[in-house]
Amino acid sequence: MGSSAPQDLAEVYRATYRALVRFLYRKVWDAERAEDLAQEAFARALVHKPENARGWLFIVAANMARDDARRAARERRHLTLLTAEPQESTLASDEAIEVESDRARVRAALDELSPRDREVLLLWDSGLSYEEIAAQTGLARGAIGTTLSRARRRLVQAYEAGKAGEHVARG
Amino acid sequence: MSHVDDGTLHAYLDGELSPAEVQGVDAHLAQCPACRGRLDEERALITRAGELLAVAAPPDRELPPFRAGDVKPLTRLWWKARLPLAWAATVVVALGIGTYLGKGVERVPQAPTASDTQPVKLKALQAPISSDTVQRESRAERRGAARTPPAAPAAPGPAARRATEMAAIPRDTALRAATPAPAPAPQPAFVMVDGALVEKASPISLDSARRLLGADPLAVPGAPIRTMYRAREIGYSAVVIVEQALDSSTVIEVVNGRRSPLGLDAVAVTGAAAPGERADSVSVAERAPLSRARIADSLAAAPGAKAAARALRRFDNLEIRISGPLPSDSLGKLLQLVGPVKP
Repeated sequence: MGSSAPQDLAEVYRATYRALVRFLYRKVWDAERAEDLAQEAFARALVHKPENARGWLFIVAANMARDDARRAARERRHLTLLTAEPQESTLASDEAIEVESDRARVRAALDELSPRDREVLLLWDSGLSYEEIAAQTGLARGAIGTTLSRARRRLVQAYEAGKAGEHVARG
Repeated sequence: MSHVDDGTLHAYLDGELSPAEVQGVDAHLAQCPACRGRLDEERALITRAGELLAVAAPPDRELPPFRAGDVKPLTRLWWKARLPLAWAATVVVALGIGTYLGKGVERVPQAPTASDTQPVKLKALQAPISSDTVQRESRAERRGAARTPPAAPAAPGPAARRATEMAAIPRDTALRAATPAPAPAPQPAFVMVDGALVEKASPISLDSARRLLGADPLAVPGAPIRTMYRAREIGYSAVVIVEQALDSSTVIEVVNGRRSPLGLDAVAVTGAAAPGERADSVSVAERAPLSRARIADSLAAAPGAKAAARALRRFDNLEIRISGPLPSDSLGKLLQLVGPVKP
């Protein structure tokens, strides 16, 4: 494989941008931030011209998301002090609220996976092949199927458990 | 043959087994009802997990178009602009801080000297000089950059080459004759505009500026134009900076950016902002009524960068910003005054 010419990268961009944003979103949980990071990753790819641009992008994105999460955690500690006043509730339809809380449930369920399981699941969902996921995570290719089956099962179980828990809590 | 394990079933359903492996699984499934049942369960599980992940997807925004033709702007704008600038900025900032610390003190308390050439309107604007760190810094950096010797590392390959190319362009002598201050030597430099680093290439003539922008460049009327620079900035197909002297100690920069439909909407994507958001932004004040939650969000997500709202004015394809050592409300007023520079 030669190094990626801009044309190749354009191709990768088209095929991967959304997936990369989705991948990042599930790490930073902020759509705008996810887009920022995805663009930053592409900008870096233009400079580094990695051989396997797609895999490279996901590695860089994962690293950026991790750094971002650390920083966000630091800042949130300050922010909780600043935003102690009750926030004005934004007007939202019931439907929007339902979508939002469902998203939160999935997020919580994802949080219950082990980091490795979660990573493999998110990479798969972003369109990476077993081969690519293996290269990315250092797992053996033969272990990806097993990891994915476990991750999927836990995700669904954790989600259902969370939902059931809510109903119990509401009475 | 022993039963098929979960991992293999998932790989099978994911289409990630080799043809030989697929054959093996098929052969076993044909004779094992239990595994066929599990296959259906696992398929349902995969579907369900996929649905849940789809719930946790970001709001579906337009994919910034990136057709074959968009490749070049992307390359030019990002790759050439970003990295060389990034580390050159470090040098510039370091130099700039030094210069600023040295010069800042004597510069600040200067009472506006009654210079006859200075328009009254502009003098009034300067009155409430409070500290405006961002703008001052930008000024300081530019100064620092101007001191960088031509061969210094602040001018890496592409920039240096561009500078020599640009130097070959004949300058408009008429324009220069009308300017009180001598134009600095054509050196590449960097200007901080709204937190974004812009490379100043070299002075250009009014004609060149007009060609670049596809329109008359805009400037604050009445203030003498010292120089015009060509600059490059992500998201714009052309940027011309008009440097104007308000008085002997105050120089502002009117940044004329010609929006690049490819650059901004397609590639530089403004990332955070929804595509339309930038277009209608005029002033900080008009953006103010954001909900508190929203602000908290954006602070948590992107410290600094997004908190600094920018004032810009749009004229057709041009976006105009002003930077200079003045309070931001004064810069905002100046922004309302700008008009086209006529020959």
